[in-house]
Amino acid sequence: MNGFHQSFLATAAWFSSCGLPGWLGLVLAGVVFYAVPLFAVVLPIAGLGQIFERKIAAAMQRRIGPSTTGIVGILRLTVNLALPWKAKAECNRLAERLVAFGPVALLDRLLTRTGVAQLAADGVKMIGKEDLVPSGVDGWLFRAAPYLAIAGAFLPFVVVPWSQHLVGADLSIGLVWVAAAGGLTAVAILLAGWGSNNKWTMLGGMRAVAQIVSYEIPVGLCMAAVAMWCGTLSLQQMVAAQYHPGVLSFLGWNLIQSPFMVILAGTFYLAAIAECQRTPFDTAEAESELVSGFNTEMSGLRWGMFAMAEYTETFLIGALFAVLFLGGYQSPVGEQWILSLPPLAETVIHVAIMTAKCLVAIWVMMWIRWTLPRFRIDQVMRLAWLKLVPLALVCLFGLALTMLLGARIEQVAYGRLLSAPSAQLPLIAWALSWLLAGGAIIALVVAAKRSGPPMPAALRRLTTAPARKA
Amino acid sequence: MTVEAYTVDGDLMTLNMGPHHPSTHGVLRLVLEVDGEVVVSCRPDLGYLHRSIEKIGEFLEYPQFVPYTDRVDYVCAMNSNHAYCLAVEQLLGSVAGSEVKIPERAEWLRILFAELNRISSHLVAVGAFAMDMGAFTPFLHGIGLRELVNDIFEKTCGARLTYNYITIGGVAADLHAGAEAEILAFCDTCEREMVRFNRLITANSIFKGRLAGVAAVSAADAVSYGLVGPNLRASGVDFDLRRDEPYGFYSRVQFEVPVGGAFAGARGRVGDSYDRFVLRCIEILESVRIVRQCLEQMPKSAAKADDPVGGWQVDANKQLRKPPRGEVYCRVENPRGETGYHVVSDGSRKPYRIKIRTGSFTAMSIFEKLVPGLMISDVVAVIGSFDIVVPEIDR
Repeated sequence: MNGFHQSFLATAAWFSSCGLPGWLGLVLAGVVFYAVPLFAVVLPIAGLGQIFERKIAAAMQRRIGPSTTGIVGILRLTVNLALPWKAKAECNRLAERLVAFGPVALLDRLLTRTGVAQLAADGVKMIGKEDLVPSGVDGWLFRAAPYLAIAGAFLPFVVVPWSQHLVGADLSIGLVWVAAAGGLTAVAILLAGWGSNNKWTMLGGMRAVAQIVSYEIPVGLCMAAVAMWCGTLSLQQMVAAQYHPGVLSFLGWNLIQSPFMVILAGTFYLAAIAECQRTPFDTAEAESELVSGFNTEMSGLRWGMFAMAEYTETFLIGALFAVLFLGGYQSPVGEQWILSLPPLAETVIHVAIMTAKCLVAIWVMMWIRWTLPRFRIDQVMRLAWLKLVPLALVCLFGLALTMLLGARIEQVAYGRLLSAPSAQLPLIAWALSWLLAGGAIIALVVAAKRSGPPMPAALRRLTTAPARKA
Repeated sequence: MTVEAYTVDGDLMTLNMGPHHPSTHGVLRLVLEVDGEVVVSCRPDLGYLHRSIEKIGEFLEYPQFVPYTDRVDYVCAMNSNHAYCLAVEQLLGSVAGSEVKIPERAEWLRILFAELNRISSHLVAVGAFAMDMGAFTPFLHGIGLRELVNDIFEKTCGARLTYNYITIGGVAADLHAGAEAEILAFCDTCEREMVRFNRLITANSIFKGRLAGVAAVSAADAVSYGLVGPNLRASGVDFDLRRDEPYGFYSRVQFEVPVGGAFAGARGRVGDSYDRFVLRCIEILESVRIVRQCLEQMPKSAAKADDPVGGWQVDANKQLRKPPRGEVYCRVENPRGETGYHVVSDGSRKPYRIKIRTGSFTAMSIFEKLVPGLMISDVVAVIGSFDIVVPEIDR
């Protein structure tokens, strides 16, 4: 947002005029204009992600999940703080009368059933816990780790575009920034693992670093392929490159530009899950193996910061996946009309669409998490180096070849052989190329399945439904 | 995959897995020497849950010891009750005149409940094992099914975990009203849900990949280390006390005894962790079969109205009855394999000595041989696949 940036600069100038050094003014203004709004937006969303996950897990496990905590307690606290001259019992009565009031009661019910009020209770509990630093830990590293984790999770959000106007900073090296800032998490986990003076945390930290460093490579290759395809590293321009005029605006999305893109999307998603240490790649936390892995010794708010970082990272992956493959904040249909709206309306609609895309990506991640068992660390590494890296490389070269051929055929800077039907490329050729490529992929998968040994009889018996009796 | 051709070249780290560790299911302690992620040696350290149950038995009259057998292995209390009661009944039956007559319905109820308890025990075993492997959802599905068994037990005998149900001379109570229909409904639910469970976790390729070929035990090793039950059968040894030395009415029901057969496919080996897991899943279905047959063959009503199911609880002189001098060793097939009660009587109202032989304890001995060369994650798999229940180790 241009006006936003100008007010940021003006504030920085004002700070300098007050006698502060220029860099400090910039930092302070940055905190006011970028960090605070960022936290204000991302923190609640990350928290909601946690509730979302608990509810999904509960549904998959025939439980109800958080469903008891309401807002009475919050109201009591608020009333007590607001009316300090009144007796506590009186304030409590007032709060309870307030909760019985129709709309408030409805809100209370909603927040209770959805488990959102539980979030506040958990937060208060976490903040209220003892600040525990076990004896023998490396104090500096132990204390610094949670902050680094939070930083590593939040910094990449600076460049994530939420609408045409709403973006922290549209850096020309956006993707590189995401990769670099996200790498802080590995340092945080290593510090936590090493600094905790515990053998389990150390094993967890070592595992995490080996894993994150390995999976940076397939993630980086996928990012590079998309950047090459779109011809830019800026996330905002990447979204713009996926714009397609017409009613069916999803035809411009990267995901359906080429079968290679589909494979890249899958590779990126898997590798990104592994990078943020979620099941089936949660070897660093591995509750049943390493007690609680790198954050075994963390408690209270320190643990909470790691948890917050984890959910923020899943959210980041959703956002990145949307930007790289699903057209970012763009609507699947009728994008051109949204673009012609006034900026505020456009921003609201685009933020909603982007959030929806993120939520779908996160939901799939949670679905995977509550379904699959965990890989062993050597299997995790093998998957990265022997499967995902070659796959991403093949797709990278495939895309490059496509662009080269496309450029020859269409005589444009970067053509799209398999791209959406346009004037240059008739619909039939587009559909044929997709059919051919898709058929080849399906044939490969089927052949791979067939080549395996048949299922033992015992297993077949276990997995087929018993015959229904009349 | 085990780490092949691995040589130790660095400093070793001693890693205490337990006594408080999420995957040791209680207070088992394994002292591991690790080189990085690879375990070089493993020494189980037992005794954290020792409660002197055998010694306590010497101070109690025969019927009073039954509740203690519940606590030896609380995951399958019915089966432990059964083993002890069979031993005392054998002791009583060794001299003419003092033998106890068990009503037919009580005999059926005994194996009915023993098999239901085997199902619930195996459900915990496979569910908890899946959780050790990082999959939390199958565990809750297993526990959810087990709740149904517990509900049935609770209605019949009042307890959900430690039942004190099978008593010397019979069982403590007849079935509650409507129990047959409930048990049949559970059988249907169990078969249906186990298919979903197996599709969710047993057939999962990550799960197979984690367990295929890990900690395989050869048949000769399984026998020489004294493995019993599913752990023994997974190694290909076809031995089940219910079939080979039938006790109670097991000779009157039809069932198959599954043995391990490298279920994991190409990379699997007979007797590996995956075989042990799959075997328990199959045994659940076989137990459902036995339960159904029990309900069909059981006499519909009790023979004597005033003494429907036998048991010393109706015997006014039960505290005064004294088994003859002598000793007896009685073994039954528990979910965790052969459980033996060696009861020595000196002719008084209290046993002279009770010795309990449990499957989990003997399974601990093979750890020192199996674990070296595996990775830390595999140690968890080994503990889970042997279905260790810590109170049964220490007693």
